[in-house]
Amino acid sequence: MNLRALVPLLCLVVGALADMLLEAFLPKKNKDHLGYVALVSLVLSGFFYIRSWGRDLSCFGGSLTLDRMAVVLCLAFVAAGFFLVLMSLKYIVRQDMNHGEYYALLLFALSGAMVMVSSPNILVVFLGLEILSVSSYALAGMKKNDPGSSEAAVKYFLMGSFASAFLVFGLALVYGAAASLEINGIRAALMGRAGSFGPGGWAGLALVIAGFGFKIALVPFHMWAPDVYQGAPTPVTALFSIVPKLAGFAVLFRLLAPLWGGGAAKPVIWWLLWGVAALTMAVGNLAALRQRNLKRLLAYSSIAHSGYILLAVLAGDGAALLFYLVAYLFMNAGAFSALVAMTREGREYVDLDDFAGIGFKYPWIAASFAIFLFSLAGFPPTAGFLAKFYVFSAAVRQGQAPLVVIAVLASLISVFYYLRVIVFMYMKDPLAEVDIETDQPALYLVMFICLCGVIQLGIWPGNLLVLIRQAVASIF
Amino acid sequence: MPLLSLLTFLPLAGGLVLIFFPRERTREARAFALAVALAVFLVSLAVYFGFEAGSGAAQFVERGRWIGYGLDYHIGIDGISLFLVLLTTFLTPIALLSSWKAVDGRLKEFSFFMLLLETGIIGVFVSMNLFLFYVFWEAMLIPMYFLIGIWGGQRRIYATLKFVLFTMFGSLLMLVAIFVLYARYHQATGGQSLAFQDLYGLSLPPGLQTWLFLAFALAFAIKVPLFPLHTWLPDAHVEAPTAGSVILAAVLLKMGAYGFLRLGLPLFPDAARTFLPELSVLAVIGIIYGGFMALAQKDMKSLVAYSSVSHMGLIMLALFSLNIESTEGALYQMLNHGLSTGALFLCVGILYERSHTRLIKDHGGLSRQMPVFSAVFLVATLSSMGLPGLNGFVGEILCFFGIFAANKVLAALAVSTAILSAAYLLWLFGRVMHGPILDPKILDFEDMNRRERLVLGPVVVLMFWLGLFPGTVLRKMDASVTKYLHTVRQKVEVQEKTAGLSLSLSSRDGSVKRFKSHFEGGHE
Repeated sequence: MNLRALVPLLCLVVGALADMLLEAFLPKKNKDHLGYVALVSLVLSGFFYIRSWGRDLSCFGGSLTLDRMAVVLCLAFVAAGFFLVLMSLKYIVRQDMNHGEYYALLLFALSGAMVMVSSPNILVVFLGLEILSVSSYALAGMKKNDPGSSEAAVKYFLMGSFASAFLVFGLALVYGAAASLEINGIRAALMGRAGSFGPGGWAGLALVIAGFGFKIALVPFHMWAPDVYQGAPTPVTALFSIVPKLAGFAVLFRLLAPLWGGGAAKPVIWWLLWGVAALTMAVGNLAALRQRNLKRLLAYSSIAHSGYILLAVLAGDGAALLFYLVAYLFMNAGAFSALVAMTREGREYVDLDDFAGIGFKYPWIAASFAIFLFSLAGFPPTAGFLAKFYVFSAAVRQGQAPLVVIAVLASLISVFYYLRVIVFMYMKDPLAEVDIETDQPALYLVMFICLCGVIQLGIWPGNLLVLIRQAVASIF
Repeated sequence: MPLLSLLTFLPLAGGLVLIFFPRERTREARAFALAVALAVFLVSLAVYFGFEAGSGAAQFVERGRWIGYGLDYHIGIDGISLFLVLLTTFLTPIALLSSWKAVDGRLKEFSFFMLLLETGIIGVFVSMNLFLFYVFWEAMLIPMYFLIGIWGGQRRIYATLKFVLFTMFGSLLMLVAIFVLYARYHQATGGQSLAFQDLYGLSLPPGLQTWLFLAFALAFAIKVPLFPLHTWLPDAHVEAPTAGSVILAAVLLKMGAYGFLRLGLPLFPDAARTFLPELSVLAVIGIIYGGFMALAQKDMKSLVAYSSVSHMGLIMLALFSLNIESTEGALYQMLNHGLSTGALFLCVGILYERSHTRLIKDHGGLSRQMPVFSAVFLVATLSSMGLPGLNGFVGEILCFFGIFAANKVLAALAVSTAILSAAYLLWLFGRVMHGPILDPKILDFEDMNRRERLVLGPVVVLMFWLGLFPGTVLRKMDASVTKYLHTVRQKVEVQEKTAGLSLSLSSRDGSVKRFKSHFEGGHE
């Protein structure tokens, strides 16, 4: 039995376990070493993922298969984990959180996401999703002394368990109709002659989509997101806004995209998703207009972005989807790292008023944050623009011009609230006393890398595009 | 040497270096920014002298693979864009120099955004690929947003958000149209391209053309701005700092007209022809409405802003008349409007630095106190009115020739611009410069200092030059304009087989040649 496909995943799990063990033995002043352990395990895992590129490794009878798309996404998770750990090094000390559990849960969450994207079996995907979710519930409540954090954890847990229940029920129905739990098998049944996939099967598929829709915050399953985002520790919020989305969209794409390839008549599910996409873009952006708390604002913005990404799924264009996800990783991680930067011992500045006038007080943080916001708003020459360009143009090519018009109008709304943050940073005088800790090199490194990513992907995405085309070509 | 790339990206590079100047080194920073802008101007002069007049095709073409899938790096310059680029590179150092005193804090950041803006604008004018064009078109919003928002007046935040959102609204719909073109080209040829010349060759069904044209036209009409879409302009102009107003009025508005010229009309000639009457009427309404609004303004800056609406209306009307006189006249008038409106904004800025008010009623009798300034202001005013001997005259007369040939009724209405602009400008001049000195503060005003003379001197010289020797410009424009009109008409004629546009190109050609040889004779 060939375990090479398992090695990168094992690196993370071993790292997580080691963190938990070491926590017990390390003296209190050396607790920050645990972060380095997590970093090492991430680097090792990344190394093995890169080595497995193009080899199509698999193990457990194919239940874990590293095709190229899986490798690209897993590397994205490794990068996300790297950013999150670096962001947290000082943050968790200042916010009085436990090191060992924190890093361990973070690594577990990532490994869950990796399982999700690298399995062709929907039940294993569900397993990964649960690993990711359970770790996330705990992570949301890591700020023990903050009632908001506990509230977030409880909310996320309750809603999340409902969603998981729907998902399992849906899977059961789908299994009944398709007699298979392999994604390929389900797809074959879906695309088979009419009637073979009965109404029960379609209802099951709808429930599955609802379950995933919860995790990736599609309207109308988005209600939890703003509260949880606001309450959770900021790096964890960054995790919520990035990792489940990447994983969830990848699974949805694998499962659904072939259904509407090749100009076949669109199934009802497609129209359902059409409506969901339009709603998600509209509601996410409109609700964001009224937010004064930046974490909530970014929560609604990430809901809106789910809508744009769903467009790529609807267009059945994997390359556009992957590019958007990678670009989204960089810009969102960057934006959240700027929020993490705006903290000091026991205090987080997340209100819009706190940001007034920081443009000239903390020029580098503000300038980077502004660039991330421009990217989220889709201004060229940033990654956000190119990502939107690909997704929207793919959708238009599939004859979806009306939906794209909705999308661009929605992103016009988004321009307003992103720019309003910049208005506060640069065009208003300070309104509140803001005093942040500026000695955090690791965090600045994250911001710098994300900045490079956002600009490079916006101006010269050449190599990534090549990789992505190969990755997408590998899956069908 | 890739001269055009150098021209486009030199300001950006200079700006990036500029950020790293230490905060306290203001003098060095501003000198460096000015030096960069002057260097850019020199490069653009090299382009001008290297430009061959006889050819209508794009010159200095650079083309390279960029992102792939038809999204290439493809730039070039022709007789249409050449002078708009020159106008940009000419006015940027002037605008920078003019703000040395007006912008007291954060001059480094200010200059950085000005240079960024210059790259964006030049990029728009030299792009030969629709994707590249759009990237510059949008990217240019960011520096303008900061310039108005940080260094603007009282209602700057409202003005800057309005400016960005208005412009984005149009350009996002244009983006959808670009996607459709991109997909259509792929369908038609199997390849992928967004190069202008490839898209010109694309034949589109009329129904689709209508939608696409409307999307493009909306984006450009907002930028120009055409009549009902102009409401962002007075706000942005009034609130922007002087340098911002200058660039906004002189160059940014021209991007809209340029868009019609380069994309809107030649890409969708059928649809364009269907909508030309409506658009022309809007342009005429803009001329008259802008003129009357200017008459009613109490604030000097908003007066000049509304005069822009009026003058841009004339330019658009000339563009929509689609003959060689009107098109060249429109292009020429774009330069004139850039110079004269730029100069007027600079003058208002100079006054504002002294009196800290822009209201007309707070001034009066300045000509005794500031004779040199008053003379310069007069030249700018007269140039804007179109007095013979100054640049405005040549442009206006060409425009009117062309418009008369196309539609006599609209032309008759459009001529009112001459009367209206004389009215509001001379009245402005009279109220500000003549009469008794009401406010004793004015007695302390000093005349223009050396820096201010350096700012306005070159503009005044150029106004006379363009008024007396229009051949320098028209000669290099000719071939490209002829080619452009061919592109617009040929497609229509091929598809419709009717002489839809009443004028044949050749017969009008002769008259404009005679007209020009008359002018060129003057200086040869």
